[in-house]
Amino acid sequence: MPVFCQLCWSAVMDADGRIYIRNWQGGILSGGFEKTPKPIFTEGKNQLEIQNLQEDWDHFEPLLSSLLRRMPELETLEIVKLVNCPETFTPDMRCIMGESPLVQGYFVLAGMNSAGLSFGGGAGKYLAEWMVHGYPSESVWELDLKRFGALQSSRTFLRHRVMEVMPLLYDLKVPRWDFQTGRQLRTSPLYDRLDAQGARWMEKHGFERPKYFVPPDKDLLALEQSKTFYKPDWFDIVESEVKCCKEAVCVIDMSSFTKFEITSTGDQALEILQYLFSNDLDVPVGHIVHTGMLNEGGGYENDCSIARLNKRSFFMISPTDQQVHCWAWLKKHMPRDSDLLLEDVTWKYTALNLIGPRAVDVLSELSYAPMTPDHFPSLFCKEMSVGYANGIRVMSMTHTGEPGFMLYIPIEYALHVYNEVMSVGQKYGIRNAGYYALRSLRIEKFFAFWGQDLNTLTTPLECGRESRVKLDKGMDFIGRDALLQQRQNGVYKRLTMFILDDHDTDLDLWPWWGEPIYRNGQYAGKTTSSAYSYTLERHVCLGFVHNFSEDTGEEQVVTADFINRGEYEIDIAGHRFQAKAKLYPVTSLFTHKRRKEDVELSDLQGK
Amino acid sequence: MPAPTQMFFPMIRNCELSRIYGTACYCHHKHLCCSPPYIPQSRLRYTPHPAYATFSRPKENWWQYTQGRRYVSTPQKFYLTPPQVNSILKANEYSFKVPEFDGKNVSSVLGFDSNQLPANAPIEDRRSAATCLQTRGMLLGVFDGHAGCACSQAVSERLFYYIAVSLLPHETLLEIENAVESGRALLPILQWHKHPNDYFSKEASKLYFNSLRTYWQELIDLNTGESADIDVKEALINAFKRLDNDISLEAQVGDPNSFLNYLVLRVAFSGATACVAHVDGVDLHVANTGDSRAMLGVQEEDGSWSAVTLSNDHNAQNESEVERLKLEHPKNEAKSVVKQDRLLGLLMPFRAFGDVKFKWSIDLQKRVIESGPDQLNDNEYTKFIPPNYYTPPYLTAEPEVTYHRLRPQDKFLVLATDGLWETMHRQDVVRIVGEYLTGMHHQQPIAVGGYKVTLGQMHSLLTERRAKMSSVFEDQNAATHLIRHAVGNNEFGSVDHERLSKMLSLPEELARMYRDDITIIVVQFNSHVVGAYQNQE
Repeated sequence: MPVFCQLCWSAVMDADGRIYIRNWQGGILSGGFEKTPKPIFTEGKNQLEIQNLQEDWDHFEPLLSSLLRRMPELETLEIVKLVNCPETFTPDMRCIMGESPLVQGYFVLAGMNSAGLSFGGGAGKYLAEWMVHGYPSESVWELDLKRFGALQSSRTFLRHRVMEVMPLLYDLKVPRWDFQTGRQLRTSPLYDRLDAQGARWMEKHGFERPKYFVPPDKDLLALEQSKTFYKPDWFDIVESEVKCCKEAVCVIDMSSFTKFEITSTGDQALEILQYLFSNDLDVPVGHIVHTGMLNEGGGYENDCSIARLNKRSFFMISPTDQQVHCWAWLKKHMPRDSDLLLEDVTWKYTALNLIGPRAVDVLSELSYAPMTPDHFPSLFCKEMSVGYANGIRVMSMTHTGEPGFMLYIPIEYALHVYNEVMSVGQKYGIRNAGYYALRSLRIEKFFAFWGQDLNTLTTPLECGRESRVKLDKGMDFIGRDALLQQRQNGVYKRLTMFILDDHDTDLDLWPWWGEPIYRNGQYAGKTTSSAYSYTLERHVCLGFVHNFSEDTGEEQVVTADFINRGEYEIDIAGHRFQAKAKLYPVTSLFTHKRRKEDVELSDLQGK
Repeated sequence: MPAPTQMFFPMIRNCELSRIYGTACYCHHKHLCCSPPYIPQSRLRYTPHPAYATFSRPKENWWQYTQGRRYVSTPQKFYLTPPQVNSILKANEYSFKVPEFDGKNVSSVLGFDSNQLPANAPIEDRRSAATCLQTRGMLLGVFDGHAGCACSQAVSERLFYYIAVSLLPHETLLEIENAVESGRALLPILQWHKHPNDYFSKEASKLYFNSLRTYWQELIDLNTGESADIDVKEALINAFKRLDNDISLEAQVGDPNSFLNYLVLRVAFSGATACVAHVDGVDLHVANTGDSRAMLGVQEEDGSWSAVTLSNDHNAQNESEVERLKLEHPKNEAKSVVKQDRLLGLLMPFRAFGDVKFKWSIDLQKRVIESGPDQLNDNEYTKFIPPNYYTPPYLTAEPEVTYHRLRPQDKFLVLATDGLWETMHRQDVVRIVGEYLTGMHHQQPIAVGGYKVTLGQMHSLLTERRAKMSSVFEDQNAATHLIRHAVGNNEFGSVDHERLSKMLSLPEELARMYRDDITIIVVQFNSHVVGAYQNQE
């Protein structure tokens, strides 16, 4: 096939046929990613030993069929060799790199998911930077070894999951796709109860979390048919959940959050936390502080809420996938020989989020204690009894900006408290809700999430969280110098909220994340997350706006003025939609009056 | 298979007629690619005497008039879809895995798959499987009934109890008898492994129990005091003979309950063959009465499969059986005792349970029928005495017992009624089951090494192999898989869906013309355990 070989110096990929074809020493090399992979474990053997497995033509047959369908002329060619060698795959189709959380100075770059050739250069570069400077020049959290823990290293889990992951390489990857294998590993004690009420589940760090609850009379599409980039089939379901959060009360099981307790005999706990976190943690007992755990560059290593349980003990809540990373970070910075006690209590508590204006009624009825803002102001934490159960940690926050409470319940009380909440809540119109409702609520309130919007290269100043940084709290903390400097020089990117104007929810492709942002027709950054706001009846995207110099492409300082003076468009699959940029959330005052069209930036309040 | 058409002179024309119709039909309707309906009359176990034919088996004789015509006027277009075919094939499937004990499987039997496909309505085949609880070992059997299902049903319920009791040591028998005597709870003797469709008749259980109790009481009385080792072969023979004797006695004695009285008579006047395997460690005994068959699947060192027959068919094809019959009766009967390959020109199997028409004296038959219920009197068939019936009994239930010591290469045992063996060669049966059980892994992998093969050649080879394997994955049950092949195999030995669906959509009254009831049990052995037994010695 001389013509082919001359023309085709790059590879031909046939995703439907699951094959690739490329030139190889003047001949043709073709391979692919079959639907039914065969996992193999090296069982302690040297990788080189299993580099060449016996040829398995029966297994290759589907790939051969699609090759011959694409290039029928090949039928007459003689076979030189069928090479059968194993490739490495990871549970989420992304490679693993970075420093081991257990052995300091041990760096890993592996599990390339068959893309080693194409990723090799970049991955090598970032790993080298990581080893030399202590951090890579780009945020690589998605590839970080520490996104996995021991829980993902079960052989059976890996066997099943890689069989699902490998065919995905040539499959259409749709947003909000959940893996089907290796599920139901970590669950809340309420799992069965919620499942029976129609919960549909997604998984994070092995933990099952409800996405939404399908009402008994409603049918959703089959899994394959539900794959879409447009309006998904759960739209109405989430809408009713959101509405219930706004008008009555909803309960969301949020047990997956990583929960640590830090205690000490003296003031060591406070001292070390003050050094590791940017906000001032020397608050009265019972207060909750939102704070970032920053690196030297001022970027977020973790974004968490910390409650001061007593003078010497703190309760720390971080995103689910922080379990390994945050632990490693704390361990790395904690003095070795101190009386500090760090404990992972994730498994000890079931977390229920009561969201909505009537949450206060439900809770006061169950605890016989006044829960009004006068008695229980926002961002407070109290141990109290709920129903028969004592020692429930009640916190007045909801991670969404809506009124309500988080209940941290020792797991043996979980079912009791849930039952009580549901039965008392009945007269207030309580219902279950899932993470999709939560996401819609938090994004319309401009709540950024670590891992999606925030990463190790984003500083608090770049996302409007100056108030969560106490530069002059009286002591040094990691990242303070960088932040001081940034305050001086200004920021080079700014997290901004966009409200899509001329986007038709029913007919247009939805924004999911990663859509380009255009400011006055010029590329200015990408979105990091998005959701449909049922209150604004518009799509809301969060994303970073940069100020690239028109002449040199160099990054320039981004000011509030710069943001406000721009005309914005979001590009969704090649179609640009008008968007209004906001630096602060739309106040509920306006949304209640449904005057969103008229809202101008100048009208907005600070927080 | 030579059809004994001379037996059917009144019907020959119809038979021919339907063949012609069939051929015509074949030409006109191309979608009927099955061969024209050739009617293998000899498959019917009984060839009813011409004089009584229409009375005794109206269905089986009427079909030629009705079905032959119907076949032409309404060509069958409504074939079954693959899922429908599967639901028919899988309706009676049953699988049993011997539970692991303490993480180890200590039994030489891994488990078994069984299934049956009816041709008669209702099906006349029966199957049984049970674990002996007071002795070691497992019992598995297939029973092929004829002239109704009463006898095969009774044998499938009762035979294993007789075998189990025959195997019990004296002390256990005493213990059981004392328990019954004093009304205490009985030791369980058998653990049954039954498909939900496999039923036991509640009405007769008391009667059956009393007969069984008499048997063990006699065994207790006969005991000489020496606790001699119980010989499995002898136990099997005794159990078979005793049960047949009890069936015969119960019919002679009758029962005050009219329903039961009719039942025992129906059991005695119908018949059943039995093929039973007893597996205990490496000791495999097969007791066979009639023309069902036990076939051992042996995997040779090169991975290929060979069949070892563990039973002899008792029919006209077995010369020693013919010889036996001739020796048991006077010389002047030599020509009549086996006629047209049938016992007295009537019965295909030469050994069977029940069938008292071939066992009792003419006097006895007449006496029992006259004193029996009206239903029995109305039935011309039971009244009919076989021709040349001079020196009964002509039939016995005594089994032929084969012993085989299991070896690691003995992978499985297929017990099946003649419905399977008529349609498939034993070698094919063993190969299909063997390949099914070992799965695709043991299909010889293809290697190009050294040969000049084009991609196109390789591709067609691979597609062919895949087509072959795809039918394997549809079945979770080896017996089902075998039935799929037995019914749906085309001339190339692979399952043809169209043929399969046509065969399964035959109306009830036609099905028996194309196939017999098929009942299959596939017992899988644990080579590791068998190997360990060997090494111990």
